[in-house]
Amino acid sequence: MTPEEILKLPSMPAVAPSYPLGPYRFINREFMIITYETDPVLLRAAVPEPLVPNADNHVLYEWIRMPDSSGFGDYTESGIVIPCTFNGEPINYTAQMYLDDQPPIDGGREIWGFPKKYALPKLEVASDTLTGTLSYAGQSVAMGTMAYKWQEAPGGCEAQAKGMTKTSCNLKIIPDVDGSPKICQLVAYNLENITVKGVWVSPARLQLIPHVNAPVADLPILRIVGGKHFVSDLTLPHGRVLFDYLKDA
Amino acid sequence: MNKQDVLKLSSMPLQSPTYPTGPYKFFNRQYMIIQYRSDPAMIRKLLPEPLLPDGDVVSVQWLDLPDGEGFGAYSAAVQTIPCTLNGEKCNFLVQMYVDNCPPLAGGREIWGYPMKYGQPKLVTASDTLTGELVYAGQKVASGTMVYKHSSPDDLAEIAAMLKRTQVTLKLIPDIDGTPAIAQLVGINFDKVVVKGAWTGRARLELTNAVNCPMADLPVLEQMGGLHIVTDMTLPYGKVLHDYLA
Repeated sequence: MTPEEILKLPSMPAVAPSYPLGPYRFINREFMIITYETDPVLLRAAVPEPLVPNADNHVLYEWIRMPDSSGFGDYTESGIVIPCTFNGEPINYTAQMYLDDQPPIDGGREIWGFPKKYALPKLEVASDTLTGTLSYAGQSVAMGTMAYKWQEAPGGCEAQAKGMTKTSCNLKIIPDVDGSPKICQLVAYNLENITVKGVWVSPARLQLIPHVNAPVADLPILRIVGGKHFVSDLTLPHGRVLFDYLKDA
Repeated sequence: MNKQDVLKLSSMPLQSPTYPTGPYKFFNRQYMIIQYRSDPAMIRKLLPEPLLPDGDVVSVQWLDLPDGEGFGAYSAAVQTIPCTLNGEKCNFLVQMYVDNCPPLAGGREIWGYPMKYGQPKLVTASDTLTGELVYAGQKVASGTMVYKHSSPDDLAEIAAMLKRTQVTLKLIPDIDGTPAIAQLVGINFDKVVVKGAWTGRARLELTNAVNCPMADLPVLEQMGGLHIVTDMTLPYGKVLHDYLA
């Protein structure tokens, strides 16, 4: 293997890279997002500066079914997103993510700094209930339920597609081989080529259980704001550096 | 969280880092190492330059890691190629499969261990030390070795073998898709205590699978097995070669 071949590899291991080069296309990606209000002090502690958490203290708890994802296959995800601002601009910060498929965990962490861990999330329609569950290391840590397709969301598919172009960001940390930080950045990306196939709002409930290695309950639920369910096709492209802690902190 | 505290985090995510800072001690780490002769042209093809092949006897290893600091209990399967770098003898790790995400993420992100998620297993099945590897639902490797038939005289030699430099090809992309890290990394185990070692007959079977291609290094001749139980420490590594420099 020559240096030229090595520099063209998308990922480790060279003999069978874990993930190909992007962008990555997702077909029939289904979301259930339950919005809740939490404690402002704990929210501030969970968000890295210079991001500023939203003034309403809202947290988005998500389940996502991804049956057809280029390079990554078929998998499910669950996690926490915190609406924030960066230099006054609205941005979504991803705080925790749990997946059942290693290549998108590795690619997610290594390319964009998605804070992904391995766990068993599930999103399914159980009789009349859209049901999300999350199990980590054998223990149940989250359950979200939403009434099924109760009401079309105001603005419909068009408004939802527009909303999904909002900038998102992650805290990407990759250590150097000596243990010192090699990459420590806020990185941003914007979804592209979004088609929304249906979007609904419904009453929802969320139960979070404290667990040290999957601390979804660290941001307590003070009030449920509501649930949203939508199905879309979209493209996840590469991104850009917003803030570099090694240079700017 | 303030910016200086962000710089002190050992890993993502901020609220519950996937792995702590090292070094990492392992207790009762058990190996089954099966050596076999393979195809020199494939060996050359899979070794990143400037590493040079050191013979044509490669290995597939199963590891049972019941007690790893920060990582917990898990199993691994590894394929290695002996090689030299500037005349020094080392082992290049071609591919590794583990069943636990924190050592997988930490392995890739710190040292560039070429780890993917699979289901390796090392068990004693009646009279046979048995290794299995399942990837995406398919069995792709199985190894068997006679159980504790004969013990080498010199355990120091076994320790020296375990301390031989491991080399990985660490690749981490940048956020724009270009390479951010492309290095050969060297790792040397520390504080190796060999609690037992046995040699004996062994057999290995590899099945072709695209995302777990151990069979790309075909088994041309079975060479025998080595069974080791050890305590050891995995320290940080060093950059041996930087492809971006």
